[in-house]
Amino acid sequence: MELYQLTAEQLSAMLAKKECSSEELTRSVLNRIEQKDGEIGAYLTVCGEEALKKAAEVDAKRAAGENLHPLAGIPVGIKDNICTRGIRTTCASRMLENFVPPYDAFVMEKLHQADAVILGKLNMDEFAMGSSTENSYFQKTKNPFDLDRVPGGSSGGSAAAVSSGEAVLTLGSDTGGSIRQPASFCGVVGLKPTYSAVSRYGLVAFASSLDQIGPMGRSVKDTAMMFQAICGRDPHDATSAVHDYPDYTANWNTDVKGLRIGLPKEYFGDGISAEVRESVMKMAEELKNRGAELVEGSLPSTDYALAAYYIIACAEASSNLARYDGVRYGYRAKEFANLTEMYEKSRSEGFGAEVKRRIMLGTYVLSSGYYDAYYKKAKFTQIRIQEEFAKAFDSCDLLLTPTVPETSFRIGENIDDQIKMYMNDILTVTVNIAGLPGISVPCGFDGKGLPIGAQLIGPKFSEGTLFRCAAGWEEICGGFDLSRTLA
Amino acid sequence: MKIDIPHLAKLSRLTFSPEEEAKFEKEMERIVEMVERLPDLDASGALIDPDHPMELRKDQAVDRTNRTELLQNAPEVQAGCVVVPKVVD
Amino acid sequence: MNQDYEIVVGLEVHAELNTESKIYCSCRNAFGREVNTLCCPVCMGMPGTLPTLNEKVVEYAAKMGYALNCTINPISKQDRKNYFYPDLPKAYQISQFDIPLCENGYLDVWVNGGEKRIGITRIHIEEDAGKLIHDDSFTGTLVDFNRCGVPLIEIVSEPDIRSSAEAKAYLDTIKSILEYINISDCKMQEGSIRCDINVSVHKKGEPFGTRVEMKNVNTFSGAVRAIEYEANRQIEVLENGGMISQETRRWDDLKGQNFLLRSKEDAQDYRYFPEPDLMTIVLEQDYLDSIKASIPELPNKKKARYIKEMGLPEEDASLLVETKEKADFFEQILEGASIKPKSAANWVLGDVSRLMNETNKPIFELGIVPTKLAEIIAMLEQGKISSSAGKQVFEEMLKTGKEPAVLVKELGLEQVSDTGALQEIVDAVLANNQKSIDDYRGGKTNALGFLVGQCMKASKGKGNPALMKEMLLKVLEG
Repeated sequence: MELYQLTAEQLSAMLAKKECSSEELTRSVLNRIEQKDGEIGAYLTVCGEEALKKAAEVDAKRAAGENLHPLAGIPVGIKDNICTRGIRTTCASRMLENFVPPYDAFVMEKLHQADAVILGKLNMDEFAMGSSTENSYFQKTKNPFDLDRVPGGSSGGSAAAVSSGEAVLTLGSDTGGSIRQPASFCGVVGLKPTYSAVSRYGLVAFASSLDQIGPMGRSVKDTAMMFQAICGRDPHDATSAVHDYPDYTANWNTDVKGLRIGLPKEYFGDGISAEVRESVMKMAEELKNRGAELVEGSLPSTDYALAAYYIIACAEASSNLARYDGVRYGYRAKEFANLTEMYEKSRSEGFGAEVKRRIMLGTYVLSSGYYDAYYKKAKFTQIRIQEEFAKAFDSCDLLLTPTVPETSFRIGENIDDQIKMYMNDILTVTVNIAGLPGISVPCGFDGKGLPIGAQLIGPKFSEGTLFRCAAGWEEICGGFDLSRTLA
Repeated sequence: MKIDIPHLAKLSRLTFSPEEEAKFEKEMERIVEMVERLPDLDASGALIDPDHPMELRKDQAVDRTNRTELLQNAPEVQAGCVVVPKVVD
Repeated sequence: MNQDYEIVVGLEVHAELNTESKIYCSCRNAFGREVNTLCCPVCMGMPGTLPTLNEKVVEYAAKMGYALNCTINPISKQDRKNYFYPDLPKAYQISQFDIPLCENGYLDVWVNGGEKRIGITRIHIEEDAGKLIHDDSFTGTLVDFNRCGVPLIEIVSEPDIRSSAEAKAYLDTIKSILEYINISDCKMQEGSIRCDINVSVHKKGEPFGTRVEMKNVNTFSGAVRAIEYEANRQIEVLENGGMISQETRRWDDLKGQNFLLRSKEDAQDYRYFPEPDLMTIVLEQDYLDSIKASIPELPNKKKARYIKEMGLPEEDASLLVETKEKADFFEQILEGASIKPKSAANWVLGDVSRLMNETNKPIFELGIVPTKLAEIIAMLEQGKISSSAGKQVFEEMLKTGKEPAVLVKELGLEQVSDTGALQEIVDAVLANNQKSIDDYRGGKTNALGFLVGQCMKASKGKGNPALMKEMLLKVLEG
């Protein structure tokens, strides 16, 4: 067994007992990146030297008998839309190819306080817009289960890195499924926390009212450890909640007995592949066998969620991405005759096609005469969806659905069909729209050996319940099988 | 539904070649068709959420500017300022 | 101006608030610092940064709302106004669109010898933009972000203003209120108050005309010129059979002209939508009540009261209410003293103001105790001291800080009003100036002044001149 193959939970215990050092562990993961990332392409920036330096520091602290955080000395990777002071943060865009933030995101401050070791920055769809990581300006990331296939997106680098042992834990971001969908495609665990649980300060905004940073790991407990480290009120983020978070790992419970699990019928409809549906239903049955109660449910407005999502997300994005104008940072075109031309050329050359499409759509839905028909109506649809979820949780503790209608697709397969690509998000966007927590856990493999993911959705701040059910399932599975990608 | 691509491009400060524009127009039409799938509901009220009041920041100034670091990403800097093409207002 | 027409003006005043920190970040809110030394990732619109709203901005805006008799919305929100400009780092300004903090108020201003009520549509909070530095020696434009995020309130009036004089009175009153409640430095030369002006004209008795918006008006005198210029321009167009088109024009104060900035067809589409990075501003009633209670009597009310209740001339009232301190000082003189307000006004606008100019000190730091000044004024009014003695006491009081009554005694300045003693002096003066008596009786009435002067001299300045004048006349006319 190599160190890079172990979970954060195992490694944290080993580090505490001094069975290994953080430097050894970090070297093991860096070696793995060196060997593997050529074919996977998860990293945009690897900070090997700094990581080893930090690992040595943590080892010294431990040797000095300091009381350390469970994540101290654990090597983690960061999605490249999270600002890291002094480390290039590109959002996988030509626009920010050379952007070095003068400040750290709140989650980075938290990870530094926890003495986590930062390995580097992970590939993604440009500005987190996409479901395959093919929209990266720099490189394509491959699915560790099948190098011809996409890892999902937009946090494809974060999912692939965890799946292939190129990081013990990673941070991703999820606006419409960008953590859960790649987690599902790569056979790992990914949590989209309750909106407002994790500060967005330093997360390069795509859609402010939907974006959340979240953890990805190889086990539910690893994911919980990371979430515990990054959640909490941040005065720099006005939308960050004041909430008393429990100590999730200290109160770890994997007993699913008595949990009422809702199965919303709209999430098992025609668009869902038979293999995916069967796999998730099988999981439901297993949970029932362990004492969980299955409840039939319905979320009738699910049908409208994708439209509402793309309107809200693109409207906000069109405004959030307006700041990339070649003035203060970022790409500036080489030749221009005047200010307007500098703006237009810098933006047209700096952004990729999908980003431009979404900016244009967002501009359209906000423009004079269309606001009420699109943006406002979408926001009212959002309220309706929120109300339906609230009603659903009257009769169940959480909902179980597939994460994605299908398993991973081939690189290039959907690149010219936006609608087909957007359909990847159909089961995940509602969670962002409703501001709820959602977790994707592996629940089996399809006939091609590709992982299938199941999504658990709970009321606001019910991460503890999600962990309980997910960990209960993990126990039933005897752990999630990553033997092929970690080998 | 006709989408005025040149107008939206102008508002977004983007430019497209004629070929790109034609392709974009087709794609946009499909996407707009998709996002028109909204329920028939009354959207006449104001968009405001009184249930989530905001905590305000105390009025305390922090002097911490590091101009060099703030301007290190700027494409062109002169005399401590960012430079843009001449603005005529 | 052509008397057949009526002007209709609405004003949008932008005032920078004098908070310690900026509206959405903790950078210092200050003027005149070295370029780009008062900014941070937030106000420079760096990727990933987020705004946090300064509570003082809300408080100050609500104060202004109460001062202008507005309804304060206990629940309001902020919105993004999207447009590209190099001085706007995020390419959107955080402002308020459909639910401003304050709405539906009014302001009474004193103009043309009476009060005029001007409606206030709304007051909202927003952030200021940076500054563009143009230099002919250089082919580009430099951007300084220090002003980005300086808090602003925008005060929008109803189109209730009918002349440039009313506009000037409105602007002056707004400025003095901002100063009274101490929420803005109101320094025109620093651009801390600016306004946009909407002007339309119509023939009397006919419906309102099409309005034209004028930007870039940075002084109040400029506003007067801009309104007059624009009204005349519109009337000329109409008189020549033309039409006014809804457009935005830019005022050039140096040239005294305005120029077309953009026509209605080019109107900006700002694509307002609720700012998703900020949540709802919810204000509790107790908090609002405490803000309301903190509003002092405002200059326009004071001015009207001074004119209507104290009988002061408008000119005096205007000068007295110029600053809250001056008005407070004036009122403290009157407090508990039975003296004429006009006497107190004369002192404040005369010797006290002179001292302020000479020493460049605020009124309350001149070392004058208002109640002591009131004593001097009382002695003057009662004829206990002469006006020249009054000035002498005032000067001595400033030097020594002694009580006026003590000083009068010490300096022997008590005016003699004892008719017996004065009669002796009058008789002596008359006895020695037969020529003046003849002159007076011969019609040269100014001889009386000479005789009064001689009496004063003989009394060593202590004689009550009014009494002595009366005594002289009695003899002369008798």
